Amino acid sequence: MKDLKHLEYFENLLQESNNDLVREAKEEGRKAIGYTCYQIPEPVLNLPGCFSLRLSAPRVGGIEMGTYYMTSMTCEYCRALVERNLEGGYQFLDGLIGAASCSQLADAHENMEKHGITEREGFFIEHVDTPMKSDENAVNLIKTICEKRILKPLRENYGIDTGDTALRRAVEEHNEVCKLLNAIGEYRKFDNPPITGYEFAVLTLATYTCPKDKLVKKLKETLKELKTREPDTDYKKKYRARVLVAGSEMDDPEYIKCIEEAGALVVCDRYCFGQNPGRNEIILTEDEDALTQVCRQNVMENQCPRYMGQKKIQSRKDYVDKLAKEYKADGLIYQQMKFCNFWGYERAACSHIMRDDYGWPVLSIDRPYVNANSGQLRTRVQAFVESIEIKKIQRTQDASRAQGADKLHRTREVSKMQGGGR
Amino acid sequence: MGKFISIIKTVLAVALALFILSWIVYFFNLDMKLSAALYNPLQKIYDMRKRDKRL
Amino acid sequence: MGKKMNSEPLGKLYNGGVTKRRREWRGIKDTWYDYTRWVGNWATMAKFMLNVQNLKGFFRYRWMSNFLSVPDFVDRHTEGLRGPQLRIAHKEFDFIVAHATDTIANLFRGDANIGGDPKWSKKVVIFDENMMTHVINGFPNLTAVTREIPPIYMGSVMRQDGILHYLDAAEEYGVPSDVCPMPAGELGLAIEDDYPQVGCCIIHCNTTCDGSLMGNGIEDRRFDVPTFELAVPIRYLDEETKDYAAQEIKNCIKFIEDTTGEKFDWDAYFKAMHTFNEETRLFLEWLDVSKTDYPQVVGNNVALYRDAYYQVAGGRDIGFLKNEQEITRIMHEAYEAKTPIVSEVRHRAILWGVQAQYYSAFPAWLQNCWGIQPLIDMLSLTSTEIYSEDDKEQAYYDMADLYAKENMRNRSEGGYQVGVEDLWRFCEEFRADVVIMYEHIACKAMTGYHGLFEEEGRKHGVHVIWVPHDLMDPRTVSREEMRQSVNQYMRTILHEEPLDPSLESIDDGEAW
Repeated sequence: MKDLKHLEYFENLLQESNNDLVREAKEEGRKAIGYTCYQIPEPVLNLPGCFSLRLSAPRVGGIEMGTYYMTSMTCEYCRALVERNLEGGYQFLDGLIGAASCSQLADAHENMEKHGITEREGFFIEHVDTPMKSDENAVNLIKTICEKRILKPLRENYGIDTGDTALRRAVEEHNEVCKLLNAIGEYRKFDNPPITGYEFAVLTLATYTCPKDKLVKKLKETLKELKTREPDTDYKKKYRARVLVAGSEMDDPEYIKCIEEAGALVVCDRYCFGQNPGRNEIILTEDEDALTQVCRQNVMENQCPRYMGQKKIQSRKDYVDKLAKEYKADGLIYQQMKFCNFWGYERAACSHIMRDDYGWPVLSIDRPYVNANSGQLRTRVQAFVESIEIKKIQRTQDASRAQGADKLHRTREVSKMQGGGR
Repeated sequence: MGKFISIIKTVLAVALALFILSWIVYFFNLDMKLSAALYNPLQKIYDMRKRDKRL
Repeated sequence: MGKKMNSEPLGKLYNGGVTKRRREWRGIKDTWYDYTRWVGNWATMAKFMLNVQNLKGFFRYRWMSNFLSVPDFVDRHTEGLRGPQLRIAHKEFDFIVAHATDTIANLFRGDANIGGDPKWSKKVVIFDENMMTHVINGFPNLTAVTREIPPIYMGSVMRQDGILHYLDAAEEYGVPSDVCPMPAGELGLAIEDDYPQVGCCIIHCNTTCDGSLMGNGIEDRRFDVPTFELAVPIRYLDEETKDYAAQEIKNCIKFIEDTTGEKFDWDAYFKAMHTFNEETRLFLEWLDVSKTDYPQVVGNNVALYRDAYYQVAGGRDIGFLKNEQEITRIMHEAYEAKTPIVSEVRHRAILWGVQAQYYSAFPAWLQNCWGIQPLIDMLSLTSTEIYSEDDKEQAYYDMADLYAKENMRNRSEGGYQVGVEDLWRFCEEFRADVVIMYEHIACKAMTGYHGLFEEEGRKHGVHVIWVPHDLMDPRTVSREEMRQSVNQYMRTILHEEPLDPSLESIDDGEAW
């Protein structure tokens, strides 16, 4: 397949947090507001005059300092954030919204705050609680938090317009990017998709780590390009299985590349920094204020395992099952960043439930924050692909055997009717 | 009266014997040594029990 | 061997086996007292076993075999104690034994697995292991049972290897080995079909940690009863979380009402809270005395007992209050007499972090071996608020506050202020020069502060002695390794010799 025209451009944007588009937006006087978790409704940070930036630590090498402060038994994403902060990698930020979505992330934010993030005038850091249930009480909580901990400092520190109209405009922008990305994602449903999982992961990640408005043009061109892009002719040989990747935070598309190089085309994702549900459009009505609606969608559509309740727990499995069917996946890969409590349990449970109750082949892996070239990961994916192939062959054989038996049965019936039975 | 005294004596003797015995058990930790000896055979009973192992 | 403290090398009692060679000789008076309490505990257990339903439960559930070591559990926590401290310890630990037998009896009474009474089961509400139970204070006709406490929490305290079977089951299922052993053990219990099937509904809570929340959600697959998930704010000090938390309490009460048909009884609630407040007042007295040169209710005599009455009993059991009144009386007498706890107090210590369940008697070792006097531990430094006894609307906020300040999450959640800053405040208040920093290596909440603790400790001029452990899994860090962490610091940094050299290294790898 010919390279996507803008792939390198998007890849370059992922090389550092303070990328070209971030710098460009800041030169225009806009404020960069960092956040680390989907639990914070994105449009609230994308009001006119500021933009959201989902923090990651691209190309992080050793995380020794992060490990000193947080020990080797905590999530590497959190440690990498602390490390990058100590290196001065987030000095360009104008604000940081630290969601206490998990204990480790909360500790990471506090470590960052204690060591100082930036000397910039007006900079603020807010540690905020986030809900764990999909109900109206949770909607009220996150709404109050947005008002007091996000909109208020944006307004007071930077004079940002935080009114309803401004938020509606932010939602429109959000939706425009989501629509484009989802339209590109539609191609992944094709039997022979003209876009790989890796390419799509790069595009998706860019929408989290760059000012959204600045991506629109390139995304539009990419969508146009896909209409005529010729998929690989040796697709079936190269990719012997289609998989959905679910799991914890993943901001390194190299993992997807590694999976695809091992023979499994990633046709859909359900992980943090991924498309689902993070890139769902937000539908606003006129009969209620925008903030409540944005918060409600965030709470109701949330697929994070920290959400409690049997209904919610079950709906997470149903959601993955639905996506996998929609994207014609052959199997599921549940991945978990090492030391992530939420996904440690969710992954373990799903590796049984999705197989036993839903009938999906499941590969369950834990992985470090960065180390996509892991031979172990490659070997495990290869073995998984082979097992899917064997199952396919077995199914075909079973089907033809059943067909044969059926044919034989019918022949016997016919001969019985003709009086030729033994 | 004599019978009553002899009952009292027997009760006291039994109580004293029990006390001495329990004191020995207490001081030499014999109760715990017996419990420790019971632990492994008990595990076999639990192992034999049919269980519906799943989630 | 004798009446005086540290008169006997206690390490000689360990012989590398499961049990100790013999019990301690504490002089005639104290040994006699200890003996009578030992008889009392056996009587409690014998009474328990005379009930057929309990006997059935004993042979049905593997974890019940952990309770064979109850007298040893009491011995461990009273090691080296004399006089008033021995009496206070027995008042507490014997009460815990009695209370635990009641809890287990309540579980078995309605347990469908052993032919329990379904009518009783319908009146039982199941609570999570680490969860406050105060909402049930308003339902006097219902019984709250924390189902996981006897098998997991107590299992691990009774025997250091008490829950390893269940941990292995969870790991075989695929749960990573780095998660906290407590929720993993609970999940293993579900996988192994070793939960009593009792209760008409379950109240879950996101206390204490992310792992606990996840484990409970998954193990519900085993239980066919309605559940309510009580979401308690993580940043519970933030004002904007208060209404949310109170509303969660209201929703929880409504759920119990709808499920059981019972109505919340405010009189019963306030009565229990009155008892609870009285207990808090007594606890504050204990803390005041602990700040003096003659602390009395300290070390092992605070930790587990505080868990029991603060969290599990929640003011419903007047027996706890009576017990505490008696303890307070003993404490005051001992304080007036300037009674020391160890032969020589060399250091005053705050225990911070989550204690090792498999070595809950570690504070006794600290004082006996090194003369480090543990004054208070992090899990006991929970709420000391006096809560409303007549304002219904305020009561929702009170309950929410209590749920947020459950023992194991009070300082591991809530942020830097309660997790780190408060420690130095307590060091000042208690005049502590040493912090025994329990580092529960699988606790994702507290380990994230590791570097900050070290830096702040240096700034405050406090000796921070790190003691790693794995809460309920002694295979990761053994008791001996925990002791070695202290030994090394005491010898290499402080250049001190132990008070009781026989305890410096003990062969208790196989012990209960």
